[in-house]
Amino acid sequence: MDELLAEFIAETREMLEASQAEIVSWEQEPGDRARLDAIFRFVHTVKGNCGFFDLPRLAKLSHAAESALAEVRAGRRSADSRLVTAVLAVIDRIVAMVDAIEAGEDFPEGGDELLMNALEPGQDDGGESAALHAQAASERKTGSKSDGPRSIRLPVELLDRVMSGVSDMVLARNELARRMREYGVEPTIDGPFERLSAVLDDVRDGITRMRMQRIEHLFNAFPRLVRDLSAELGKQVLIDMEGGEVEIDREMIEVIRDPLTHIIRNALDHGIESPAQRIAAGKREIGLLNIAARQAGNHIIIAVSDDGRGIDGQRLVEKAIASGIATAEECAGMSEDERYALVFEPGLSTAREVTAISGRGVGMDVVRANIERVGGTISVSCTAGQGTRILLSLPLTLSIIPSLTVECGGERYAIPRSYVEEIVHARAGTTELVQVGDAWLATIRGERLRCIALADVLAVDGSTAMERAALVLIRLAGGDLFAMAVDRVLDHEELVIKPLAPRVMATGIYAGTTLLDDGSPVLMLDMAGIARSQKLLSDVQRRVRRTAQQNDDAREEAEAVPMLLFTALDGQRRAVRMDVVRRIDKVAREAISLAGHGARVVIDEALLSLAGVTGGSLPDGRVTLLRLADGRGEMAYAVREILDTASMTSGIMPADAAGEIEGVTLIDGKAVEVIDCHWIFASEAHAPRQLAPATCRLPDDDPWTRSILRPLVESAGYRILGDSDKGEPDVVIVSEGSEAPTGAATLIRMVGDPAAASATGDIYRYDRSALMAALSAARARRIA
Amino acid sequence: MNELLLIARIGGRRIGLRATQVNSVIELDKLTPIPRAPSYILGLTPLRSSALTVVDCALALELGQPTRPAEQVAQAIVVEHEGHSYALLVDEVEDVAEAHSDVTEVSGEAGAGWKRAAQGMVETAIGPVLLLDAAAIIIGPLAEAA
Repeated sequence: MDELLAEFIAETREMLEASQAEIVSWEQEPGDRARLDAIFRFVHTVKGNCGFFDLPRLAKLSHAAESALAEVRAGRRSADSRLVTAVLAVIDRIVAMVDAIEAGEDFPEGGDELLMNALEPGQDDGGESAALHAQAASERKTGSKSDGPRSIRLPVELLDRVMSGVSDMVLARNELARRMREYGVEPTIDGPFERLSAVLDDVRDGITRMRMQRIEHLFNAFPRLVRDLSAELGKQVLIDMEGGEVEIDREMIEVIRDPLTHIIRNALDHGIESPAQRIAAGKREIGLLNIAARQAGNHIIIAVSDDGRGIDGQRLVEKAIASGIATAEECAGMSEDERYALVFEPGLSTAREVTAISGRGVGMDVVRANIERVGGTISVSCTAGQGTRILLSLPLTLSIIPSLTVECGGERYAIPRSYVEEIVHARAGTTELVQVGDAWLATIRGERLRCIALADVLAVDGSTAMERAALVLIRLAGGDLFAMAVDRVLDHEELVIKPLAPRVMATGIYAGTTLLDDGSPVLMLDMAGIARSQKLLSDVQRRVRRTAQQNDDAREEAEAVPMLLFTALDGQRRAVRMDVVRRIDKVAREAISLAGHGARVVIDEALLSLAGVTGGSLPDGRVTLLRLADGRGEMAYAVREILDTASMTSGIMPADAAGEIEGVTLIDGKAVEVIDCHWIFASEAHAPRQLAPATCRLPDDDPWTRSILRPLVESAGYRILGDSDKGEPDVVIVSEGSEAPTGAATLIRMVGDPAAASATGDIYRYDRSALMAALSAARARRIA
Repeated sequence: MNELLLIARIGGRRIGLRATQVNSVIELDKLTPIPRAPSYILGLTPLRSSALTVVDCALALELGQPTRPAEQVAQAIVVEHEGHSYALLVDEVEDVAEAHSDVTEVSGEAGAGWKRAAQGMVETAIGPVLLLDAAAIIIGPLAEAA
């Protein structure tokens, strides 16, 4: 049966039981006002609840009784015994119907009209309705009590007590099990102990879930609310809900019920426009209200967004100034989001008129107070004309959090599993760790991530070197990914997290604590807090800022931008924004070609534009390259040496002319040139061109060719075409005396006599540098 | 008057806590350290199905020296404050005594930590004791509050 319906039945029964005594004494004393009120409340509630379900008969009956009683309450009618009988007959009928619903049976048709007529004043059919009353009563007595799911209401404290009792039992069981293992017991003890243990696990599972409820429970009432409100307001609104399966503490549902209802009212009343206005604004005439819930770490995020007109920020500011909440100067200095946040100030509303829907004296300030009381936060963002979005973030302190336990410095810690993207080992082949200054960068399958060590965050001694650590990839709510090194990854566990003492929470590293199965406390890490303290959030925040306040450059520049410091080929200290550096590579000098239209480099068989080579000479041997990516294209920047990572906190003094250098900034008190990535990409980059490797056909397959020449040519980046390969090679190498085939782009003839080689332009078979130069030149021609 | 006090020693000095503030006295067994927490917070210890925050009273009161338990097994007083449970580590727990006088002002000389937590002197059958406020101990040295 529908859970909501079951609750309705339980509630109706419970209310009836509570008012049973009232009904009986009302029968004796129809003039008693208190009794009358109690019965009125009962039929009124039944009527209200019926509205949620498709129960027209119940609704009609309760409505009739309510109207009759309302007349009596208003003093327009007296409660004579005939009315009392009729009302009681209706109540009995309601009970009988509820029983039938619970049992899943159909209630016999008919009879309702008679009852309702009896409620009408001046009708003289008292005898009949009394008979009905008696009939219904006997139905109630003989009617089979259903075997359907039954529910009772319990005080939450009782649940808590039982829950902690069961937790204690589990701990005692674990202790006992440990001692049994240590000292050994009679084998006859093992069986019963196992059974006890299994039962206990079952009980614990049930108990922990008792407090939790799917948020659906709360959401289910919203479509009806939206339907009624939109009808009342003459608007058309479509409600869309996501994340109903998210589990949340029962108590929390009660706490957020009213605030959410209020937010929805506001959205419908003030946010979504009338169909005519919407069409005029070029929108679909049906407004959209989206309510989404999602669990993010130790928080439940509920977002309510509409596609209405948004909040009138200007009006809000005017009102704030008028009512003395803020001064004009303060308002002028506010960001857009800060302005919208004024909505939560007491006494402020942008609604031009107070309407029956939302103008009930409960403002957004009360909503905020309610949310903050339970440790949640509320924020609003909005795009004028496009819609409003209200974000509630609620703590999950009593909820069960699936967690990953890890070890660091000999202690265990828990990480909410929702943050964990993946676990990799630093020593795995796909992972590469580079230290840049003090910072570590992990390259995992081509993606460069910043890497922090949990031991450093906690200031403890980790027992494992970074190179052998386990890396937990953490995905923050904002989408950012970073790696965190721990000594060991232990296990997945479902933990009930409890809050920590305020002075411990103040460290910003922990989200809570829990007891593991063996009874030892473990700390839950606050990943968002750690990311903040390690300055891993900067680019996310910046991105948010940029969309929110494009005109506030001063603020943005004041923020720390992570930079990579290096020495360029010309010996200058330069810096590049960390965000654009995809990875750092070393390539052989031969892979770089300076000829043709511009410098190019071949990395992993892809051809990239190469910058940074003007004004300096390439070092011999291997060249260090920064691989820069702007999201679409990719290019390389040659450097002499990587120096360090740093934060750019001061602004950039722009260069005189547009070019490779954006300007000069101060890093650690020294002037450093900042690379203008935009300019470089604009002038150089294109998507990396995947090269079919250059091909080469070798002379007849003799041992010298196979074991000496072939590896050399391959090391220069050529693919050797065999006899079976079709197609024209880029380069053909022939030995002395062979016929030159036609069609090859480049022909290299190898001769055995050094003197003859220099005379004819051929290459002596052991002149390695000449061969390499020829191969390199051939490839450069091909690229160009 | 006639209020029950739990008598203990902190930094060698005899102190009293109102018995109504005290939940129980436990022997500290396992301790899970909390890295980066203020130094007077020693860690967490399990008590049945919850974790207690262990506070070193001597450090919390800025006595300079950490608490040195008098016995082999360290004793701690369990108190509840604003919904959180704490275990206050003391030198030793001595007794429960009845207060025989009103709370009187302490005469000078006490250090900053004592001043912050002390509510006054109380006479008991085993002599005068310094009455402390558990909440003030838990808050810890103010210098670390920033």
